[in-house]
Formats: sequence, structure tokens, C-alpha cells
Amino acid sequence: MVAYLIRRLIQSFAVFLIVMFLTFILPYFETGGILAPAYIALNTHASPSAVHAFALSHGLLQPFYIRFWNYFSQVVFHFNLGYSWRQTSSVWTIIVDFVPRTIWIAVVSLVLSVAIALPIGVIQASKRNSFFDYTVTNIFFVLYGIPAFLLSLLMITWFSIGTLHLPPVPNDGSALQIFTDPKAFILPVGALTLLNLAFLSRFMRSAVLDVLVQDYIRTARAKGCSQRRVLFRHAFRNALGPIIIILGLFLPGLFGGALIIEEVFNYPGIGYQTVNAATYLDIPTVLGITLLTTIFTLAGNLMADVMLGVVNPRVRVEGR
Amino acid sequence: MMSNSDQDFHTGPHEVLLIEAPVGQHHGGTAISDAFIPLWRQRLRIFLQNKLAIASVVYLVFIVLFCFLGPILWHSNQTDQAQALLAPQNGPPTVHNLLGTDPSGFDELGRIMFGGEYSLTLGMIAGVITIVIGTLYGMVSGFLGGFVDTFLMRMLDAFLSIPVLFLLLTLVTVFARTTTNLIAIIGVIGWFGNARIIRGDALLIKELEYSQAAKAMGATRWHIIRRHVFPNSVSNIVTVATFAVADAILFLTTLGYLGLGIPLPATDWGTMLNNSSQYIANGYWWQVYPLAVIFILVIVAITYVGEALRDAFEVRLLER
Repeated sequence: MVAYLIRRLIQSFAVFLIVMFLTFILPYFETGGILAPAYIALNTHASPSAVHAFALSHGLLQPFYIRFWNYFSQVVFHFNLGYSWRQTSSVWTIIVDFVPRTIWIAVVSLVLSVAIALPIGVIQASKRNSFFDYTVTNIFFVLYGIPAFLLSLLMITWFSIGTLHLPPVPNDGSALQIFTDPKAFILPVGALTLLNLAFLSRFMRSAVLDVLVQDYIRTARAKGCSQRRVLFRHAFRNALGPIIIILGLFLPGLFGGALIIEEVFNYPGIGYQTVNAATYLDIPTVLGITLLTTIFTLAGNLMADVMLGVVNPRVRVEGR
Repeated sequence: MMSNSDQDFHTGPHEVLLIEAPVGQHHGGTAISDAFIPLWRQRLRIFLQNKLAIASVVYLVFIVLFCFLGPILWHSNQTDQAQALLAPQNGPPTVHNLLGTDPSGFDELGRIMFGGEYSLTLGMIAGVITIVIGTLYGMVSGFLGGFVDTFLMRMLDAFLSIPVLFLLLTLVTVFARTTTNLIAIIGVIGWFGNARIIRGDALLIKELEYSQAAKAMGATRWHIIRRHVFPNSVSNIVTVATFAVADAILFLTTLGYLGLGIPLPATDWGTMLNNSSQYIANGYWWQVYPLAVIFILVIVAITYVGEALRDAFEVRLLER
């Protein structure tokens, strides 16, 4: 197990480096090459001398490998992500300030969606092809077909402008606002939950369904277990494996899902920062956020694999 | 849900022959017995039993005809911006504009057809590209295994970690937003998930008895991939391909939301939905709801077809 963990950690570090390299090299392909950020930060019609000054002060004129080595050594040896080119703060400050905001809405909606999707998935699977199963499946299919931005805008139109007059999301204040002012967060969290549900529910149902056709379920039924005992003792436990994998892989997706939601609801989380940084080629910020997402992704994968070993001892030994 | 004859068939004496039969290939004649039904016809029958899937196919055909042949019957200006400016902007539905006009003065009904041509074509081609790349990558990774697999999968982790938006913004600024380029961009970004699924398949199939048997008989790797692994994962590939098309269309919609869709005077559904939903609070319902319903139903229909295909291909599901 320890050897497996160490191997995975080394691999993860390699992935981390690849991501850093790819993200670092991407801006070079922009129109205008590595000077593109200068043109965007200043103005398309900025004078050559101004662009030159910007490039000089941000170290853009150094060769690629020197820039990369500087960045790499700063990040890996000093945990220093550098300074934003657009905002007067370090990338680390931006991350510390904005990530918690996103994490809270993401976590709350994830908990909500799992709490809804799990029981629904179990019921759907146990009463498959019933009216309930079809109805729920169809509702989730429709949800899956709605683009995130459209769903959010429709929700705003109906429940904020239209009938319920829910307040808009305040775009300043602490990260814990979601708990002090929950009413304002009903819409964004609701939208995110619906989107997660549309995604998760398909897996929940099929995860439980895959288990329900197994021989041991038939055995459990045959020996006279009650329906509830079969479902929750025998089926649910065994369905946990796939569900944990999905949740692990889903973890980084939470950031992505929150991105459009934050943009539409004008909520200053990390997704909002990503959009801005990417639009204005604020390279250090993009790099910092990317590396953070990478760590989340890798941690999610690793956790999923380790947790899988915990709930299903059969896969523990081989270690994938 | 399957008829008895299907079940009998699969558990009957022809089982071996069935599994060996390459998917979608006619076995030529009915030499074995009168009861022999080619595999593809069995699958077609399962597919046709799914009423929702048939309805979906009908709807999709209708929408394709609506978009591509509709303009022959419904003449409207969709390319001349100067002329559009003379028309009433945001005009409500009239006899001349059955679904009103959009913010630029284009006829909304004609616009839906016009945008649909782009959305459907792009989604279709980009979806196919993602599936081709994903299949190649996944097959190679899963089949070769070992170091190659680890390397390719960790690369995939890296690709998945870079925020899609940043990749996209970079690619879109590098390449002009022409139809071809957008197809290429979506195709290049969208295959990551597909590769994972196909790889899982290849991993599973190469361990199965028939692959091992072929290997024992001295078959080359290429032969095993071509004759055993690929044909047996075709079912999954086709299913994934349907979802890939739906995802590509959704992806294009997100691009439209970010203002990175197909530029004027052409348009796509995403750009249209984005433009019109900005005005949703003004009460221009004809710009939002007809298109939203058509769009969402297209995605839902494609998903249904995908699910039905999966059911038709899944021999295991015959028991359910």
C-alpha cells in the first residue's frame, strides 16, 4: 500500500510538471506570441516602447527555458506563485481570497446533490422501469440538455425578477456569506445542484443497477431478506465503489461547473477569476489557478482509488 | 424488458457464434438454422422496442429537415446585416415573422434554421472527431498496457487538469473563429473523457478468453486489436459517440455564451441563446423559449438514442 501510494505520488508530481509546462507554453501560441499579454494589458494600439517596457518588467523577453526554470523553481522550492499582472496582489492572495467562496457553494451543492441523487438512484434501480423511474430519468435528461448559463438565466428570470423576488448574490463580503445570508444563495446553489444532479443521477442509478443483478443479491432475496435489507445492506454497500470513483473524478469538475454559474450570477469566486484571467491573459493567475485545479484533480483521483480499496478490499492488493 | 426469443437466443446453442460475430456484420445466409437471426437485426429489434428512442430519431430527423430544407419554404434574410437593420428589431411575432425578430432584426424562425445548420453540422463532425481520437488513444493505452498505459493516462490527467476555458480562449485567439477551426478546437478538446471509457473497454476485452486464445495461437497485437478488441468495443464506441455529439453541441453552446461562437452574420444556437437570454427580462419570449425548447429536446433526443443504442448493444441487459 505504501509503495503504491509513493508510486502514485511520484506519478502525480510528473503530471503536475506536465501541466505546468503545457500551461506555460500555451501563451506562446497566442497571436502576437508571448507579447500578446502586453497588448491585452495595455491596449491593442499601445506604442512599441510601452509594450517593450511591459515585456521587460514582466520578464517576457527572457528565453523560454529561463522563464520556465524561474517559474518552476519559485513554485516548487518556494511555493511562490508570483504576482498577478492585472491586480495588485499576489496569485496566492487571489487563490486564498476567492477559492473558499467557490468551495462553499460547490460543497453545499455537492452535498445536496448527493443527498438527493443517492436515494433517488437506489429507488430508481429497485423499481426500475416503473413510472417513478421513467419520470425521474426523463426529468434528469432534460436537465442535462439545458446549458448551464440558460438554466441560471431562466432561474433568475423566473424566481428573482418574476415571482419569488429572491435577492441577487452579494458580490462582496466574507466567504461564509452563504451561511449568514442563505436566501441570496438559493439560486446559484440551486442551479449548481440541478446541474450536478443531472450528471450524477445517471451514474447512481446504473451503479446500483449493476449490483442488483449480481448473484449475491439473488441469494440475499432467496434467504428471505426484506427488500430494505437487500437494498441497503447488500446492494448499496457494493454500489459505493463506483459511486466513490465518480465523486473523486467529479471533484475537480465542481470548479468547472461553478465557473459558468459564478459568471452568470456575478459571484466573485475562483471561476470568475479564471474567466477574467484567461480573457485578459493574466498568465501568472491562470497558471496558479491551473496548478491548483491540477492538485485537486490528482488528489481526487488518488482519493478515489484509495477509498475504493477501503470499501472494496478486493481491489486493495493489486492497486491499479 | 426483452422478449423471450431474444433471451432464448442468447442462452441457446448459437451463443458462441453470436459472440464471435463481428458487430453489425451480416453472417450471410441462414445456413445454421431457420431460427438464426443476424445480430444486427436482433439489436435493431431491441432498439425499435424503445418507443422513446424512435420518437427521438423521428424528432432528430425532423429537426435536420427543418434546419436544412426549411429555408427553402421559409424565405428570410439571414445574411444581409444592412437589410436586417431596416427590419423591426426585437419585433413580436407577426404574419411576416412567425417567431418575431431578434435584436439585430433577423427573422427568428429563419434564424433558428440557419443557426441549427451550423450547430448540428459542427456538433456532428466535432463529435466524430472526438470519438476517433478518443478511440485511438484509449485503444492504444488500454491494449498496450504497462508503461505506455501509465504514461498516456497520466498525460490524460494533465490534459484534464488544464481549465478547458483557458485552453479554449488560447486556441480561439490563435485560430480565427471559422467553422472549420471551431470544429477542430472542439474535436481536440473534447476527446479526453471518451479516451478513458474506451481504454477501460480495451483493458477488459484483452483479458477475455477469446483475446487470450488468439494471443496463444500466435496472433499479432494488430490482429487482436482489429479482430477482437475493436469489434467488441464497437457497442461502447457507438454509444459514447452519440453522447459525444450531444456534448459537442453543448460545448458549442458554452462557446456561444462566452461570445466565442460563430461570428456574424452566421450564427449558431449557442450564440443565439446567449444573445436572446440577455434580453429575457424585457419580455422577448419568442427569442428564448422556442429555441430553448428545440435545443434542449435535440440534446435529450440524442441522449435517448444513445441510451437505446447502449441497451441494444448490451447483451447483459437482456436479463434486465
